[in-house]
Amino acid sequence: MISFSSVTKKFHQKTAIDKISFKTKKGEIIGFVGPNGAGKTTTMRLIMGYLRPTAGKILIDDSDPLENRIDVLKKIGYLPENNPLYQEMRVNEYLGFISDIKEEKDYLKIVEQVGLNDVLATKIEELSRGFKQRVGLAAALFGNPEILVLDEPTSGLDPIEQEKIRNLIRQLAERKTIIFSTHILSEIEDIADRLTIIDNGKIVYDGVKPKGKGAVEKLFKKTINY
Amino acid sequence: MLTLYKKELNYYLNNVVGYLILIIFAAFANFLFVKDIFVVGTASMKSFFGIMPWLFLVFIPALGMRIFSEEKRVNTIEILLTLPVSETQIVLAKFFAMATLFLMSLALTLAAPISLALIARLYLPEVIVGYLGIFLLGVSSIAIAMFFSSQTKNQIVAFLLSVLVLFFLNVLATDFLVTVLPKAITDFASYFGPIYHLQNFIKGIVDVRSLFYFLSLLVVFLFLTVISLEKRD
Repeated sequence: MISFSSVTKKFHQKTAIDKISFKTKKGEIIGFVGPNGAGKTTTMRLIMGYLRPTAGKILIDDSDPLENRIDVLKKIGYLPENNPLYQEMRVNEYLGFISDIKEEKDYLKIVEQVGLNDVLATKIEELSRGFKQRVGLAAALFGNPEILVLDEPTSGLDPIEQEKIRNLIRQLAERKTIIFSTHILSEIEDIADRLTIIDNGKIVYDGVKPKGKGAVEKLFKKTINY
Repeated sequence: MLTLYKKELNYYLNNVVGYLILIIFAAFANFLFVKDIFVVGTASMKSFFGIMPWLFLVFIPALGMRIFSEEKRVNTIEILLTLPVSETQIVLAKFFAMATLFLMSLALTLAAPISLALIARLYLPEVIVGYLGIFLLGVSSIAIAMFFSSQTKNQIVAFLLSVLVLFFLNVLATDFLVTVLPKAITDFASYFGPIYHLQNFIKGIVDVRSLFYFLSLLVVFLFLTVISLEKRD
Protein backbone atom coordinates (compact mmCIF):
# COMPACT_ATOMS: atom_id res chain seq x y z
CA MET A 1 0.00 0.00 0.00
CA ILE A 2 1.21 3.50 -0.87
CA SER A 3 0.43 6.31 1.54
CA PHE A 4 1.09 10.02 1.04
CA SER A 5 0.42 12.32 4.02
CA SER A 6 0.56 16.06 3.31
CA VAL A 7 3.49 15.60 0.96
CA THR A 8 5.08 18.73 -0.47
CA LYS A 9 7.93 18.88 -2.93
CA LYS A 10 9.62 22.15 -3.80
CA PHE A 11 12.33 22.73 -6.38
CA HIS A 12 14.02 25.89 -5.11
CA GLN A 13 11.12 28.35 -4.85
CA LYS A 14 8.73 26.43 -7.12
CA THR A 15 6.23 24.13 -5.45
CA ALA A 16 5.74 21.06 -7.63
CA ILE A 17 3.58 19.12 -5.17
CA ASP A 18 1.57 20.89 -2.52
CA LYS A 19 0.44 18.94 0.57
CA ILE A 20 -1.03 15.99 -1.30
CA SER A 21 -2.46 13.02 0.56
CA PHE A 22 -3.75 9.73 -0.78
CA LYS A 23 -3.72 6.02 -0.02
CA THR A 24 -3.90 3.10 -2.39
CA LYS A 25 -5.56 -0.25 -1.81
CA LYS A 26 -4.12 -3.57 -2.85
CA GLY A 27 -5.00 -4.54 -6.43
CA GLU A 28 -6.22 -1.08 -7.42
CA ILE A 29 -5.43 0.52 -10.76
CA ILE A 30 -5.07 4.23 -10.25
CA GLY A 31 -4.90 6.63 -13.17
CA PHE A 32 -3.11 9.91 -12.50
CA VAL A 33 -4.09 12.66 -14.92
CA GLY A 34 -3.27 16.33 -15.10
CA PRO A 35 -1.91 18.97 -17.43
CA ASN A 36 1.82 19.26 -18.21
CA GLY A 37 3.75 20.32 -15.12
CA ALA A 38 0.86 19.43 -12.80
CA GLY A 39 3.10 17.21 -10.67
CA LYS A 40 2.43 13.70 -12.01
CA THR A 41 6.08 12.76 -12.64
CA THR A 42 7.18 14.33 -9.35
CA THR A 43 4.58 12.17 -7.55
CA MET A 44 5.86 9.02 -9.29
CA ARG A 45 9.46 9.93 -8.43
CA LEU A 46 8.53 10.54 -4.81
CA ILE A 47 6.92 7.10 -4.61
CA MET A 48 10.16 5.59 -5.94
CA GLY A 49 12.32 7.51 -3.48
CA TYR A 50 14.07 9.11 -6.44
CA LEU A 51 13.13 12.48 -4.96
CA ARG A 52 13.06 13.46 -1.31
CA PRO A 53 9.88 15.22 -0.15
CA THR A 54 10.32 18.75 1.22
CA ALA A 55 7.61 18.03 3.80
CA GLY A 56 5.15 15.27 4.65
CA LYS A 57 5.43 11.51 4.93
CA ILE A 58 5.49 8.80 2.27
CA LEU A 59 5.10 5.16 3.24
CA ILE A 60 5.19 2.07 1.06
CA ASP A 61 3.80 -0.87 3.05
CA ASP A 62 4.61 1.11 6.21
CA SER A 63 8.23 1.67 5.14
CA ASP A 64 9.88 4.94 4.21
CA PRO A 65 11.16 4.65 0.61
CA LEU A 66 14.30 6.62 1.51
CA GLU A 67 15.12 4.99 4.83
CA ASN A 68 14.39 1.42 3.70
CA ARG A 69 15.23 2.05 0.10
CA ILE A 70 16.30 -1.42 -1.03
CA ASP A 71 13.43 -3.28 0.65
CA VAL A 72 10.89 -0.83 -0.75
CA LEU A 73 12.35 -0.91 -4.25
CA LYS A 74 12.10 -4.70 -4.30
CA LYS A 75 8.33 -4.26 -4.06
CA ILE A 76 7.97 -1.73 -6.88
CA GLY A 77 8.46 -1.99 -10.61
CA TYR A 78 9.00 1.37 -12.30
CA LEU A 79 8.72 2.66 -15.81
CA PRO A 80 10.08 6.23 -15.70
CA GLU A 81 8.87 9.09 -17.88
CA ASN A 82 10.37 8.95 -21.40
CA ASN A 83 11.65 5.46 -20.56
CA PRO A 84 15.41 6.09 -20.27
CA LEU A 85 17.39 3.03 -21.41
CA TYR A 86 21.02 2.20 -22.05
CA GLN A 87 20.76 2.65 -25.81
CA GLU A 88 24.15 1.08 -26.56
CA MET A 89 23.16 -2.25 -24.97
CA ARG A 90 21.40 -5.13 -26.68
CA VAL A 91 17.95 -6.02 -25.36
CA ASN A 92 19.17 -9.28 -23.81
CA GLU A 93 22.15 -7.53 -22.18
CA TYR A 94 19.96 -4.84 -20.68
CA LEU A 95 17.27 -7.21 -19.48
CA GLY A 96 19.95 -9.61 -18.20
CA PHE A 97 21.47 -6.74 -16.22
CA ILE A 98 18.15 -5.69 -14.66
CA SER A 99 16.97 -9.25 -14.02
CA ASP A 100 20.27 -10.12 -12.29
CA ILE A 101 19.88 -7.15 -9.94
CA LYS A 102 16.22 -7.94 -9.28
CA GLU A 103 16.99 -11.68 -8.98
CA GLU A 104 14.32 -12.60 -11.52
CA LYS A 105 14.03 -16.32 -12.18
CA ASP A 106 11.24 -16.19 -14.79
CA TYR A 107 13.19 -13.97 -17.19
CA LEU A 108 12.03 -15.78 -20.32
CA LYS A 109 8.40 -15.87 -19.22
CA ILE A 110 8.35 -12.07 -18.88
CA VAL A 111 10.21 -11.58 -22.14
CA GLU A 112 7.54 -13.69 -23.83
CA GLN A 113 4.71 -11.93 -22.02
CA VAL A 114 5.79 -8.51 -23.27
CA GLY A 115 6.61 -9.83 -26.76
CA LEU A 116 10.35 -9.26 -26.92
CA ASN A 117 11.45 -12.73 -28.08
CA ASP A 118 12.28 -11.64 -31.61
CA VAL A 119 14.33 -8.60 -30.70
CA LEU A 120 16.52 -9.93 -27.88
CA ALA A 121 19.71 -9.62 -29.91
CA THR A 122 18.86 -6.14 -31.22
CA LYS A 123 20.54 -3.01 -29.92
CA ILE A 124 18.07 -0.89 -27.94
CA GLU A 125 18.89 2.19 -30.03
CA GLU A 126 17.66 0.32 -33.13
CA LEU A 127 14.24 -0.53 -31.65
CA SER A 128 10.98 1.26 -32.43
CA ARG A 129 9.42 3.33 -29.62
CA GLY A 130 6.86 0.61 -29.04
CA PHE A 131 9.52 -2.05 -28.50
CA LYS A 132 11.57 0.29 -26.31
CA GLN A 133 8.48 0.76 -24.17
CA ARG A 134 8.12 -3.02 -23.90
CA VAL A 135 11.77 -3.28 -22.79
CA GLY A 136 11.06 -0.72 -20.07
CA LEU A 137 7.92 -2.57 -19.07
CA ALA A 138 9.75 -5.93 -18.91
CA ALA A 139 12.40 -4.33 -16.70
CA ALA A 140 9.65 -2.99 -14.42
CA LEU A 141 8.10 -6.47 -14.17
CA PHE A 142 11.30 -8.25 -13.12
CA GLY A 143 11.40 -9.29 -9.48
CA ASN A 144 7.64 -9.85 -9.39
CA PRO A 145 6.85 -6.49 -7.76
CA GLU A 146 3.58 -6.01 -5.86
CA ILE A 147 3.26 -2.45 -7.16
CA LEU A 148 3.80 -1.07 -10.64
CA VAL A 149 4.45 2.63 -11.14
CA LEU A 150 4.16 3.56 -14.80
CA ASP A 151 4.85 7.14 -15.82
CA GLU A 152 3.07 7.75 -19.13
CA PRO A 153 3.48 4.18 -20.39
CA THR A 154 1.88 4.88 -23.78
CA SER A 155 3.38 8.31 -24.41
CA GLY A 156 4.60 8.80 -27.98
CA LEU A 157 3.25 5.48 -29.26
CA ASP A 158 1.00 5.02 -32.26
CA PRO A 159 -2.61 3.93 -31.53
CA ILE A 160 -1.90 0.23 -32.27
CA GLU A 161 1.10 0.13 -29.92
CA GLN A 162 -0.87 2.08 -27.32
CA GLU A 163 -3.55 -0.59 -27.43
CA LYS A 164 -0.98 -3.39 -27.07
CA ILE A 165 0.59 -1.74 -24.01
CA ARG A 166 -2.88 -1.15 -22.50
CA ASN A 167 -3.70 -4.82 -22.98
CA LEU A 168 -0.50 -5.75 -21.21
CA ILE A 169 -1.35 -3.46 -18.30
CA ARG A 170 -4.85 -4.99 -18.11
CA GLN A 171 -3.32 -8.49 -17.91
CA LEU A 172 -0.93 -7.39 -15.16
CA ALA A 173 -3.68 -5.68 -13.22
CA GLU A 174 -5.06 -9.02 -12.08
CA ARG A 175 -2.19 -9.47 -9.67
CA LYS A 176 -0.74 -6.05 -8.89
CA THR A 177 -1.45 -2.54 -7.65
CA ILE A 178 -0.83 -0.21 -10.55
CA ILE A 179 -0.36 3.54 -10.54
CA PHE A 180 0.00 5.08 -13.95
CA SER A 181 0.06 8.63 -15.24
CA THR A 182 -1.28 9.65 -18.61
CA HIS A 183 -2.40 12.52 -20.78
CA ILE A 184 -4.85 10.29 -22.59
CA LEU A 185 -8.20 10.44 -20.84
CA SER A 186 -9.65 7.47 -22.74
CA GLU A 187 -6.87 5.39 -21.22
CA ILE A 188 -8.32 6.08 -17.79
CA GLU A 189 -11.75 4.94 -19.02
CA ASP A 190 -10.14 1.79 -20.43
CA ILE A 191 -7.90 0.69 -17.59
CA ALA A 192 -8.30 2.53 -14.28
CA ASP A 193 -10.53 1.69 -11.29
CA ARG A 194 -9.74 4.95 -9.59
CA LEU A 195 -9.06 8.40 -10.96
CA THR A 196 -6.77 11.00 -9.43
CA ILE A 197 -6.67 14.42 -11.05
CA ILE A 198 -3.73 16.63 -10.19
CA ASP A 199 -3.43 20.28 -11.10
CA ASN A 200 -0.80 22.82 -10.03
CA GLY A 201 0.61 20.32 -7.55
CA LYS A 202 -2.71 19.72 -5.77
CA ILE A 203 -5.05 16.78 -5.99
CA VAL A 204 -8.32 18.22 -7.22
CA TYR A 205 -10.17 14.91 -7.56
CA ASP A 206 -9.50 11.49 -6.08
CA GLY A 207 -12.17 8.87 -6.26
CA VAL A 208 -14.00 6.30 -8.27
CA LYS A 209 -13.65 6.67 -12.00
CA PRO A 210 -16.89 8.09 -13.40
CA LYS A 211 -18.65 5.62 -15.67
CA GLY A 212 -19.84 6.25 -19.22
CA LYS A 213 -18.20 7.41 -22.43
CA GLY A 214 -16.70 10.89 -22.09
CA ALA A 215 -17.44 11.04 -18.34
CA VAL A 216 -13.73 11.22 -17.41
CA GLU A 217 -13.15 14.07 -19.87
CA LYS A 218 -16.17 15.95 -18.55
CA LEU A 219 -14.94 15.60 -14.96
CA PHE A 220 -11.40 16.53 -15.95
CA LYS A 221 -12.52 19.75 -17.64
CA LYS A 222 -14.73 20.61 -14.69
CA THR A 223 -12.02 20.14 -12.05
CA ILE A 224 -8.93 21.70 -13.59
CA ASN A 225 -8.18 25.31 -14.46
CA TYR A 226 -8.03 25.43 -18.26
CA MET B 1 27.39 -5.15 -7.17
CA LEU B 2 29.17 -7.58 -9.49
CA THR B 3 26.39 -7.14 -12.07
CA LEU B 4 26.79 -3.36 -11.96
CA TYR B 5 30.59 -3.70 -12.16
CA LYS B 6 30.35 -5.94 -15.23
CA LYS B 7 27.92 -3.56 -16.93
CA GLU B 8 30.23 -0.60 -16.35
CA LEU B 9 33.35 -2.42 -17.48
CA ASN B 10 31.55 -3.74 -20.58
CA TYR B 11 30.57 -0.19 -21.50
CA TYR B 12 34.24 0.76 -21.80
CA LEU B 13 35.32 -2.52 -23.38
CA ASN B 14 32.55 -2.39 -26.01
CA ASN B 15 33.19 1.23 -26.77
CA VAL B 16 35.86 2.63 -29.07
CA VAL B 17 36.31 5.67 -26.79
CA GLY B 18 37.51 3.43 -23.93
CA TYR B 19 40.20 1.86 -26.12
CA LEU B 20 41.14 5.22 -27.59
CA ILE B 21 41.78 6.68 -24.12
CA LEU B 22 43.84 3.60 -23.17
CA ILE B 23 45.90 3.71 -26.35
CA ILE B 24 46.56 7.45 -26.14
CA PHE B 25 47.64 7.10 -22.50
CA ALA B 26 49.93 4.14 -23.28
CA ALA B 27 51.39 5.94 -26.29
CA PHE B 28 52.18 9.08 -24.26
CA ALA B 29 53.56 7.15 -21.29
CA ASN B 30 55.80 4.97 -23.45
CA PHE B 31 56.91 7.94 -25.53
CA LEU B 32 57.97 9.84 -22.41
CA PHE B 33 59.84 6.78 -21.16
CA VAL B 34 61.67 6.29 -24.46
CA LYS B 35 62.51 10.00 -24.54
CA ASP B 36 64.12 9.72 -21.09
CA ILE B 37 66.12 6.65 -22.00
CA PHE B 38 67.39 7.64 -25.42
CA VAL B 39 67.31 11.44 -25.49
CA VAL B 40 68.03 12.37 -21.87
CA GLY B 41 70.07 9.20 -21.30
CA THR B 42 68.63 8.11 -17.93
CA ALA B 43 68.35 4.36 -17.35
CA SER B 44 65.82 4.65 -14.54
CA MET B 45 62.08 4.50 -14.03
CA LYS B 46 62.08 7.51 -11.69
CA SER B 47 61.38 10.21 -14.24
CA PHE B 48 58.76 7.96 -15.85
CA PHE B 49 56.91 7.69 -12.51
CA GLY B 50 57.52 11.38 -11.84
CA ILE B 51 55.72 12.47 -14.98
CA MET B 52 52.62 10.39 -14.20
CA PRO B 53 50.78 13.00 -12.04
CA TRP B 54 50.85 15.34 -15.04
CA LEU B 55 49.72 12.65 -17.43
CA PHE B 56 46.94 11.59 -15.06
CA LEU B 57 45.85 15.22 -14.93
CA VAL B 58 44.25 14.73 -18.35
CA PHE B 59 43.94 10.94 -18.62
CA ILE B 60 41.92 10.27 -15.46
CA PRO B 61 39.35 13.07 -15.97
CA ALA B 62 38.94 11.90 -19.59
CA LEU B 63 38.29 8.39 -18.34
CA GLY B 64 35.91 9.43 -15.59
CA MET B 65 34.02 12.41 -16.98
CA ARG B 66 31.10 10.40 -18.32
CA ILE B 67 30.68 8.01 -15.41
CA PHE B 68 27.78 9.93 -13.81
CA SER B 69 27.29 13.00 -15.98
CA GLU B 70 26.24 10.93 -19.00
CA GLU B 71 23.80 8.96 -16.82
CA LYS B 72 22.39 12.30 -15.68
CA ARG B 73 22.21 13.74 -19.19
CA VAL B 74 20.24 10.82 -20.65
CA ASN B 75 18.47 10.21 -17.33
CA THR B 76 19.53 6.55 -16.99
CA ILE B 77 20.55 7.65 -13.48
CA GLU B 78 16.82 7.35 -12.71
CA ILE B 79 16.97 3.66 -13.63
CA LEU B 80 20.03 3.09 -11.44
CA LEU B 81 18.68 4.96 -8.45
CA THR B 82 15.34 3.16 -8.56
CA LEU B 83 16.88 -0.32 -8.66
CA PRO B 84 17.19 -2.23 -5.38
CA VAL B 85 20.87 -1.44 -4.94
CA SER B 86 22.44 1.06 -2.56
CA GLU B 87 24.16 4.26 -3.66
CA THR B 88 27.37 2.90 -2.13
CA GLN B 89 27.13 -0.22 -4.32
CA ILE B 90 26.59 1.95 -7.41
CA VAL B 91 29.59 4.15 -6.61
CA LEU B 92 31.85 1.19 -5.74
CA ALA B 93 30.83 -0.77 -8.86
CA LYS B 94 31.64 2.20 -11.06
CA PHE B 95 34.85 2.87 -9.17
CA PHE B 96 36.09 -0.72 -9.48
CA ALA B 97 35.23 -0.79 -13.19
CA MET B 98 37.29 2.36 -13.74
CA ALA B 99 40.08 1.06 -11.52
CA THR B 100 40.16 -2.13 -13.62
CA LEU B 101 40.45 -0.08 -16.79
CA PHE B 102 43.16 2.00 -15.16
CA LEU B 103 45.06 -1.18 -14.22
CA MET B 104 44.81 -2.28 -17.84
CA SER B 105 46.31 1.04 -18.90
CA LEU B 106 49.15 0.61 -16.41
CA ALA B 107 49.73 -2.89 -17.78
CA LEU B 108 50.27 -1.27 -21.18
CA THR B 109 53.22 0.64 -19.72
CA LEU B 110 54.97 -2.49 -18.47
CA ALA B 111 56.95 -2.56 -21.71
CA ALA B 112 58.96 0.29 -20.18
CA PRO B 113 60.48 -1.55 -17.18
CA ILE B 114 60.81 -4.78 -19.16
CA SER B 115 62.82 -3.10 -21.92
CA LEU B 116 64.84 -1.20 -19.35
CA ALA B 117 65.67 -4.44 -17.56
CA LEU B 118 67.07 -5.78 -20.84
CA ILE B 119 69.57 -2.95 -21.24
CA ALA B 120 70.35 -1.94 -17.66
CA ARG B 121 70.33 -3.23 -14.09
CA LEU B 122 66.91 -2.59 -12.63
CA TYR B 123 66.14 -2.82 -8.94
CA LEU B 124 62.80 -4.65 -9.09
CA PRO B 125 61.39 -3.76 -5.60
CA GLU B 126 61.88 -0.08 -6.41
CA VAL B 127 59.93 -0.49 -9.66
CA ILE B 128 57.13 -2.38 -7.90
CA VAL B 129 56.84 0.29 -5.19
CA GLY B 130 56.89 2.99 -7.88
CA TYR B 131 54.01 1.27 -9.66
CA LEU B 132 52.18 0.97 -6.32
CA GLY B 133 52.58 4.74 -5.91
CA ILE B 134 51.19 5.61 -9.32
CA PHE B 135 48.41 3.07 -8.84
CA LEU B 136 47.39 4.80 -5.59
CA LEU B 137 47.68 8.20 -7.24
CA GLY B 138 45.53 6.94 -10.14
CA VAL B 139 42.73 5.43 -8.06
CA SER B 140 42.52 8.49 -5.80
CA SER B 141 42.37 10.67 -8.94
CA ILE B 142 39.57 8.41 -10.24
CA ALA B 143 37.60 9.09 -7.04
CA ILE B 144 38.04 12.84 -7.60
CA ALA B 145 36.93 12.55 -11.25
CA MET B 146 33.90 10.49 -10.20
CA PHE B 147 32.85 13.09 -7.67
CA PHE B 148 32.94 15.91 -10.22
CA SER B 149 31.13 13.76 -12.76
CA SER B 150 28.35 13.28 -10.19
CA GLN B 151 27.96 17.06 -9.92
CA THR B 152 26.93 17.87 -13.46
CA LYS B 153 25.12 16.62 -16.57
CA ASN B 154 27.86 18.06 -18.74
CA GLN B 155 30.88 15.80 -19.37
CA ILE B 156 33.07 18.72 -20.43
CA VAL B 157 32.32 20.61 -17.21
CA ALA B 158 33.07 17.43 -15.22
CA PHE B 159 36.35 17.02 -17.12
CA LEU B 160 37.43 20.63 -16.59
CA LEU B 161 36.56 20.63 -12.88
CA SER B 162 38.57 17.43 -12.34
CA VAL B 163 41.53 18.79 -14.30
CA LEU B 164 41.42 22.00 -12.29
CA VAL B 165 41.39 20.23 -8.91
CA LEU B 166 44.07 17.71 -9.89
CA PHE B 167 46.20 20.55 -11.25
CA PHE B 168 45.77 22.49 -8.02
CA LEU B 169 46.78 19.43 -5.96
CA ASN B 170 49.79 18.79 -8.20
CA VAL B 171 50.94 22.39 -7.93
CA LEU B 172 50.88 22.22 -4.11
CA ALA B 173 54.03 20.14 -4.11
CA THR B 174 55.98 21.88 -6.85
CA ASP B 175 58.67 24.56 -6.80
CA PHE B 176 56.28 26.94 -8.49
CA LEU B 177 54.60 27.83 -5.17
CA VAL B 178 57.93 28.63 -3.54
CA THR B 179 58.31 31.56 -5.91
CA VAL B 180 55.03 33.14 -4.82
CA LEU B 181 54.52 32.07 -1.17
CA PRO B 182 56.66 31.94 2.00
CA LYS B 183 58.56 28.68 2.48
CA ALA B 184 56.76 27.81 5.71
CA ILE B 185 53.43 27.84 3.88
CA THR B 186 54.66 25.93 0.86
CA ASP B 187 56.22 23.26 3.07
CA PHE B 188 52.90 22.83 4.81
CA ALA B 189 50.87 22.98 1.57
CA SER B 190 53.10 20.46 -0.18
CA TYR B 191 52.00 17.79 2.29
CA PHE B 192 48.52 18.02 0.73
CA GLY B 193 49.84 17.50 -2.77
CA PRO B 194 49.98 13.97 -4.22
CA ILE B 195 53.36 14.63 -5.83
CA TYR B 196 54.96 15.03 -2.38
CA HIS B 197 53.68 11.59 -1.35
CA LEU B 198 54.46 9.99 -4.68
CA GLN B 199 58.12 10.94 -4.23
CA ASN B 200 58.44 8.43 -1.40
CA PHE B 201 57.10 5.62 -3.56
CA ILE B 202 59.36 6.64 -6.45
CA LYS B 203 62.33 6.32 -4.10
CA GLY B 204 61.13 2.81 -3.30
CA ILE B 205 59.81 3.69 0.16
CA VAL B 206 56.34 2.62 1.28
CA ASP B 207 55.64 5.41 3.77
CA VAL B 208 52.55 4.72 5.87
CA ARG B 209 51.74 8.46 5.92
CA SER B 210 51.74 8.58 2.14
CA LEU B 211 49.68 5.39 1.97
CA PHE B 212 47.23 7.00 4.41
CA TYR B 213 47.16 10.20 2.33
CA PHE B 214 46.17 8.43 -0.89
CA LEU B 215 43.64 6.17 0.82
CA SER B 216 42.10 9.17 2.60
CA LEU B 217 41.78 11.06 -0.67
CA LEU B 218 40.14 7.98 -2.21
CA VAL B 219 37.70 7.37 0.64
CA VAL B 220 36.75 11.04 1.07
CA PHE B 221 35.89 11.55 -2.60
CA LEU B 222 34.04 8.22 -2.91
CA PHE B 223 32.08 9.17 0.20
CA LEU B 224 31.29 12.61 -1.24
CA THR B 225 30.07 10.93 -4.43
CA VAL B 226 27.76 8.65 -2.42
CA ILE B 227 26.45 11.68 -0.52
CA SER B 228 25.77 13.55 -3.76
CA LEU B 229 23.76 10.55 -5.07
CA GLU B 230 21.81 10.40 -1.81
CA LYS B 231 20.79 14.04 -2.02
CA ARG B 232 17.70 13.41 -4.19
CA ASP B 233 16.91 17.05 -4.84
